[in-house]
Amino acid sequence: MTLLTPARGKVDAVAKGVLRPRSKLAGHLEPGTQVEVMLAQGRTLDVITQAQTVATYAGIRGDLDRLGTAMYLVEVTDRLTVDHTEPAAFELLAAALERLERGDGAHLLTRTFEMDLLGETGFRPQWDVCIACGRTVEGEEVAWTPSGGGVVCSACRPRYPEAEGLAGTTLKVLRAIQRGPYDQAARIRLNPVLAAALERVMHDLVRSVAERDLGSQRFIEAVRRTASAPPESSDVASCP
Amino acid sequence: MLDPLATDSAPPITRLVEAFHRLPGIGPKSAQRLAYHVLRAPAAEAHALADALVAVKEQIVLCAHCQNVAEQNPCRICQDTGRDRTVVCVVEEPLDVVAIERTHGFRGLFHVLHGVISPSDNVGPEDIKIAELLARLRDVDTEVTEVIVATNPNLEGEATAMYISRLLRPLGIRVTRLASGLPAGADLEYADNLTLGRALEFRQEVR
Ligand SMILES: [Zn+2]
Ligand SMILES: [Zn+2]
Repeated sequence: MTLLTPARGKVDAVAKGVLRPRSKLAGHLEPGTQVEVMLAQGRTLDVITQAQTVATYAGIRGDLDRLGTAMYLVEVTDRLTVDHTEPAAFELLAAALERLERGDGAHLLTRTFEMDLLGETGFRPQWDVCIACGRTVEGEEVAWTPSGGGVVCSACRPRYPEAEGLAGTTLKVLRAIQRGPYDQAARIRLNPVLAAALERVMHDLVRSVAERDLGSQRFIEAVRRTASAPPESSDVASCP
Repeated sequence: MLDPLATDSAPPITRLVEAFHRLPGIGPKSAQRLAYHVLRAPAAEAHALADALVAVKEQIVLCAHCQNVAEQNPCRICQDTGRDRTVVCVVEEPLDVVAIERTHGFRGLFHVLHGVISPSDNVGPEDIKIAELLARLRDVDTEVTEVIVATNPNLEGEATAMYISRLLRPLGIRVTRLASGLPAGADLEYADNLTLGRALEFRQEVR
């Protein structure tokens, strides 16, 4: 299994026999929990010899929407980090899960997490100045490119045929999220349109760095569809 | 390593070793051991093995009702008029049906998902037999009033259970989950009869 550690970043380790019901380790090695472990250095992989649960995030586990978000946070971490580097990823993930657990809005905590993790892993998005010439970019509608990792000015735009438009309000919020601190950014009121625009921008960035679609994003969308599904036809009794 | 060139033209023993190696849990050493065992065995034993392999592909079908692997469609359980048609137990794999049947504590019907929602492996709700479950429960002739989601007690199993519960809520069907007692992260397949029987008996409503 893969462990995300504060000291050594992402580490692969084996835990023997965790699928057996009587395994003492099993109960403490659930995906998405915070644990304290003892690792023994193995020939190729570290071996988990002891494990003790630190945080189980019961609030997340019992709620489908939050669980989907948590799975996304974990998958993004896995896709953006490389083994034995980026120890800061642990703090970022732990903070995001803690916020999710206490009931913060999923949108801003996820966008903050993506922005910070991209920064830590060397893919800090550029929202203030043009990625090509360094000139400050302002306006009602600017251009940006996921593969270039930020905004481009109108003079440089022709060289980036893949660049897309980005609304001024969306850009402002992206800057606020990047600037932080989270507690301040978390006070921003998002309407559904703005939330969707921010999500799309950050997903495009993450996908461009991870070089693949994220399965947990598909799951989040499937869960959303269940929430907005039209009520069942009239043959089912409903409460008044 | 699997050799992609181990095709029909390769020596039969190489082909057999490769074929065994493709099976889950069989490493190169074990594959070799199995292949040489077959080589030394009487011809009748080899033919019996070959026949069984072909038969499993040709004679086993999916039951259109419960999606379980069976020798006929509908399967033996779905056809059994003695079973309680108001309760459906949803499981991940055919082996889970075997485990639950072994407890003799369940008299209802089953539904086999053939997997579990696992976003990190890119397995979504549409990749397992959830649509089939929904269609079955929406059928006007359905007598089902309770669905027990008996997915494994781990993250993917919980996500699948909650997702199914949300889909079924508008249908007015009671959705329950196996009682805790099965250790977290464990596999249903490995649970002993007593524990599994209790988990079934003391099942709880899913929020
Ligand atoms: Zn420029
Ligand atoms: Zn059947």
